[in-house]
Amino acid sequence: MPAQLFPPEALVTQRGVLTVRGRQFSVNGYVARSQTHGLRLIMTENFGAVLADVLVNPEGKVFVMQSKPPFRRAWVERYIAADLKCILGHGIETDCPVRSLGPTHFIVERRWYKLDLWTVETKPGPQPAEMFDVTRTGKP
Amino acid sequence: MKTLSAIATAFIALGTVARASDASVSPLNDSRPVLQELQRKMSEVRSLYLEFTQERHLKLFSEPLKSEGVMLLDRPALIRWETTAPYQSILLGNHKSVAQFESNNGKWTKLKLGFPQLLRRVMEQIALIHQGKLDALTNDFTMSVETGTDGTELKLAPKEETMRSMMSWLEVRLRPDFSATREVLMYEPGGDFTRIIFTRERHNVTFPAGTFDQTKPLDIAAVRAAVDHVP
Repeated sequence: MPAQLFPPEALVTQRGVLTVRGRQFSVNGYVARSQTHGLRLIMTENFGAVLADVLVNPEGKVFVMQSKPPFRRAWVERYIAADLKCILGHGIETDCPVRSLGPTHFIVERRWYKLDLWTVETKPGPQPAEMFDVTRTGKP
Repeated sequence: MKTLSAIATAFIALGTVARASDASVSPLNDSRPVLQELQRKMSEVRSLYLEFTQERHLKLFSEPLKSEGVMLLDRPALIRWETTAPYQSILLGNHKSVAQFESNNGKWTKLKLGFPQLLRRVMEQIALIHQGKLDALTNDFTMSVETGTDGTELKLAPKEETMRSMMSWLEVRLRPDFSATREVLMYEPGGDFTRIIFTRERHNVTFPAGTFDQTKPLDIAAVRAAVDHVP
């Protein structure tokens, strides 16, 4: 289980290359992980613009707080959130086509895409409860 | 978002020739002379080497998300944007094409880029700025200048509504003599902002062969070594 590779409370930075129909896109993921509050992912493109913002509560319920092109809301909910739960969730996702190639390197392969993911930084420590507040979108 | 990135990157280039601090500044009634002087300075710059720290301030996070890197520019339109920490990635561009490389445990892999035309647009914007064509931006931005004892601030507010929904304004903080950039700030409507702090800057250096090679770019350590040897 990849999730066991991460501290129960941490801010994790990941770099990923997403391959869709032979084309590749690099993305950054910043994940706040809390045992009691769940997961919060902010995904950005190369220059920092937010592409997706997802909250997963401890029961595994997904809240898509933001999604921007090229990611559609349904795509974020169905795939990005699922991959997040597979890699960093506490066993809350069962459909997990994830391979661990090392403690910091994961490959997710689904029918529509492949995600080559590296953990580049892990800062252990409790994450603010506000980060897991479903009413807090970070949007204007 | 893509345009935002393009403009942000372009202004990083703009900022590089011109820097300031948080010292109090006051607006100028007529900013044209300052802008003209800035353009003149920019036109003198043949190439640029910059090291920077980028802070992404998101309201959601208590601390900024930081990264480090280098940006290289060479005439007529060569650019290399490299992130060196916490991950390694290289973006390369010229008038015709762009390329991206990602490092996996020290081994570089060239990506089969999606949306390469968008990245090329970034390069074109940078080229415009690098060639001192500041006028080309007046269609898209309202520019204003504030000056103080410690430096000059160039503020650019997007004219177009779609752009304003992504970026409220952009601020380039310059030294009083426009000799270097201290930082570039990009403010978003929701309160998030990006701050790029320049830690080292060299003008008119001659980059070694392979610096902008889109097949096998020269390692940044070799580029740095060459830049360090320039008097």
